[in-house]
Formats: sequence, structure tokens, C-alpha cells
Amino acid sequence: MPKANDYAILFDASHCTGCRACQVACKQWNDLPGEATVNTGSYENPPSLSADTWLRMKYTEGVVSDEVFWDFTRDACMHCSSAACVEACPTGAVNYREGGVVTVDQDWCIGCRNCVQACPYDAIHYDEHKGVVEKCTLCYDRVSNGLQPACVTSCPTGALHSGSYADMKQLAETRLAQLKEAGYKDANIYGLAEMGGTHVLYVLLKHPSTYGLPVGTVTEKKKVASGWLSAGIAAAVLGYAGVHWVAERREQVGGERR
Amino acid sequence: MTGEWGIYIVLYFWLAAMGGGAFLIALGLRDDRAKRSGAFLAFIGIVIGALLLVVDLGQPARFWHLLAGFHPISVMWLGSAVLALSGLGLFLMLILREWPDWLVWVTAILVLLVVGYTGVLLMATARPFWSASPLMPWIFLASAYTSGAALLVLLGNREPGLHRIAFNFALIEIVLVAAHLIWTYPAAQQQVQAALTGELAWAFWGFVLLGVALPLYMEAQRKAAALSALLVLAGGFLLRYFIVYAGQVGVLRF
Ligand code: SF4
Ligand code: SF4
Repeated sequence: MPKANDYAILFDASHCTGCRACQVACKQWNDLPGEATVNTGSYENPPSLSADTWLRMKYTEGVVSDEVFWDFTRDACMHCSSAACVEACPTGAVNYREGGVVTVDQDWCIGCRNCVQACPYDAIHYDEHKGVVEKCTLCYDRVSNGLQPACVTSCPTGALHSGSYADMKQLAETRLAQLKEAGYKDANIYGLAEMGGTHVLYVLLKHPSTYGLPVGTVTEKKKVASGWLSAGIAAAVLGYAGVHWVAERREQVGGERR
Repeated sequence: MTGEWGIYIVLYFWLAAMGGGAFLIALGLRDDRAKRSGAFLAFIGIVIGALLLVVDLGQPARFWHLLAGFHPISVMWLGSAVLALSGLGLFLMLILREWPDWLVWVTAILVLLVVGYTGVLLMATARPFWSASPLMPWIFLASAYTSGAALLVLLGNREPGLHRIAFNFALIEIVLVAAHLIWTYPAAQQQVQAALTGELAWAFWGFVLLGVALPLYMEAQRKAAALSALLVLAGGFLLRYFIVYAGQVGVLRF
């Protein structure tokens, strides 16, 4: 669970207009180049995060019985408290820093990409030119100096907030109550239980899965434990069968020869 | 096709499983020469495999951070540790004339871990095709035994039990793969389809037909043992190829 004084970000989907100011601010502050993409018929761009795009707005769009829906969610590292990337990393290069922020030590990372495979949010990526991985830093360089993350400062609608975890959670709960009262009965807070509790919280109007957010996430520790358990049973069962067959066959052949 | 893990990883999985499987099976035989050649095969597989892993890193010169990081919860860390230790154990076995019992046991367990951890590694990811069923370690272990037995046959070992092992484990393997595809289908439709009918169908059906069905048929007819062993080994490669690549289908890179 995040601690009360940890750094945190709140994204309020009910205020977001999908303007992508945050996406641009992230690129500017972190000196990240643009992406060469093609138009796929959506305003969503680029189609996924990458080593050069640490934050983007995800557009969930379509038409249901003549009603257009056009919903926006933030897509970036969630700064998990039980982070799959951290637990999967063999070297400890990606790790928890002060205030619960998860960042990569690029002088220690070996570029094995195990973290990339492990992250349930697809939020950490391999940079082929640098040979190491890149991701959102929660603007650690800014927040540790008392500034707000670049994305938060740029948001024109008040959909992004930052501060202590306790404050952000409080704000999320207040907003949720308002939304419920206004008749959004499916409104919810995302990130309270996922991956041990995330340092980025979302206020959503609809069920998380409608935005393609993973629900019922399993922590890396649990996955590793069940993996070893399954491997242990497999080794015992298959090993026993193998030994049995060799011995049986040997007896048969021995019998024939006798 | 893009993917985070590519051909080096496939080759490593394959070599380590073939050599490791041959070693583990040879230990069960009553023939000391077979045991020694098993240890040799495993050593070769593990050394070349480890080199491939290092070359595949974004920062090969930092490979030692892998162990220096000491992080046993990471399957990658534990796998690297057992890989290094098993290499050491096998090396000792190759230079010693007499094998102390403990050395045989410890090395056998380490090699078993090397063969098995690859399945755990894939299970502990966010990729549904690898993680939505617990069968990945089962498939890799069964296939290691099939390929290990086939490798020993190919090198001229006449132990009758080998054919039996290769035959039975090939049957188990194909059942496990089928079960895995059905099990993961709800969570990984796109990936299962890529394997069955999509961009990886050649590897999948190559594995099923050339790597399993044909050798099984030849084995039942008691024909061309060497050729059928060769096909089994190729099948072991194709199996790992489609598993590694299918797991990463749908991961958008542009
Ligand atoms: S969202 Fe992914 S990259 Fe970010 S902390 Fe969680 S597991 Fe790591
Ligand atoms: S790529 Fe780097 S940060 Fe990611 S798991 Fe490997 S060493 Fe750790």
C-alpha cells in the first residue's frame, strides 16, 4: 500500500477532454522526440507507449445504437506499490525510490527486457539505441524539488492533480461522491487495489474494463510462486514417469534376452 | 514481426533444453559413457546458451550485474544463477574421473532448474499466452525429455528405453500443447490464432506434423531412428519458436 506521504497523481476522467496537453508537456520536459506514426482513423496517437512516449492519452471510441462514445484515459506508468517491473528485474535497476516512485537506473540496467514483459500496463519500454529501458519517472526530478509533474501543470481542465497520496485519495473520494450524486452510478476509483495500490489514481465514469484497463491484476510475487509450484509438480510427475519407463523397458528387454 | 524477446532467446531455450534433457535422461541409464556424454552435451548447450543470452542483452558488457543484483524473486535472476552454477557443476563432472554422489545430485537438480525455470519465466509475465495457463513449465520439461532422448539416440546410444521415453514424452507434449491452447484461448485469442492460422502457423504446424506426428509414426514403424530423432530436435526448436513469438503477438510497436 502507498504511504500517506508518498508522491501521487490523480487523473479525473470526468474532467478530461482528451486535449493531450499532458502528453506534449511530458515530451517537452523529458526531451523526448516525436514518433513517426500513420493515421489509423482515430485521434489517438501514438497507438501505444514506447521508449520515447512515456505518457499518452488513450481514446476509447465508437458508436453504440447511434450514440457516440468518446472516452479518454491516461496511459502511463502507475507507479505500483507492488510493481511487476521491480520484482521481475534481475539487477535491481528498476526500483522503488523515496516516496514510492518507480524509476530505472540506466547505468545499472542491462537491457534484458524482463520488466517489459512483466508490466501489466505496458508502461516500460526498451530503447534499442541506448540498450536500456525507459519509462515515466513521475517527474522525480521535479517533485523532489517541490514542483508538480510536468503533465499536471499543463492540464487546462483540472483533470490532473498531484500531491501526497493521502490528499489524492481524499480528492478522489470527494469527486466520486459528487459523481455518484450526479447520477453516474458506475463511477469508481481505479488503482486502490491494483498491484498493491498504485501511486497514480484514476476517477472513472465507467467500469475500468471498458477503457481497456486490466482488472483483477495479479502481483508478480503471486505469479512467480504459482510458476514455481507448477514447475515443481511438473518435475515430479514427469520425472517419475521417465524413470518408470526406463526401468520398465529395461526389465522387458532383460526378460526377452533371458 | 517485432518482439522484445527474439531468436536468441528461442535458440537458448532450445539448446539448454536439449543438452539438459540429454543429461538428465543419461543419468537414468546404466551406461557410464552415456552419462559422460550427457554431461558434455548439457555443458555445451548451457555455455552456448549463456553466450546467446549475453549477446542478446542491450548492454552485454554489464552481464555481471545479473548476478550482482541478487534478487531471487526475479525468475530471470534465479535462472541466471542456476545457469551459472550448473555450468560449474557440469564442468567439474567433465574434469573429474570419479563423480562424488553429491556432485551428481546437485548438478542434476541445477540442470533440472535450468530446464524448468524458462517455463516459470514466461508464466511470470503480463503476456496472456504465456501466463493464462500453468502449463508452460510442463511443456518445456516434457519437450526437454523428448529432445534429450532424441539427441542421445542421434549420437548412437542403443539403450532401448530411450525410444520409449522419446515416444511417450512426445505424446504427453502434444497433449499438453493442445491443453495449453484451449486453456489460454479465452485470454489470448489473438495469440492462439496467430499460432494456429496466422503468421506463426508454419512453426506451429511444423512442430505438430514434422516434429511430433511424423517421428511418432516412424517410431511406431521402427524405421529410420536417426532421421526421426533429427525431426524431433527440429520440432523442439519450432515449439519454442512459436511459443516465444506468439506470446508477443499483439504487443503494439510502431
Ligand atoms: S505500471 Fe508497469 S512500469 Fe509502472 S511501476 Fe507498475 S509494473 Fe512498473
Ligand atoms: S531491462 Fe533493465 S530494468 Fe528491465 S528487467 Fe532488465 S535490467 Fe531490469
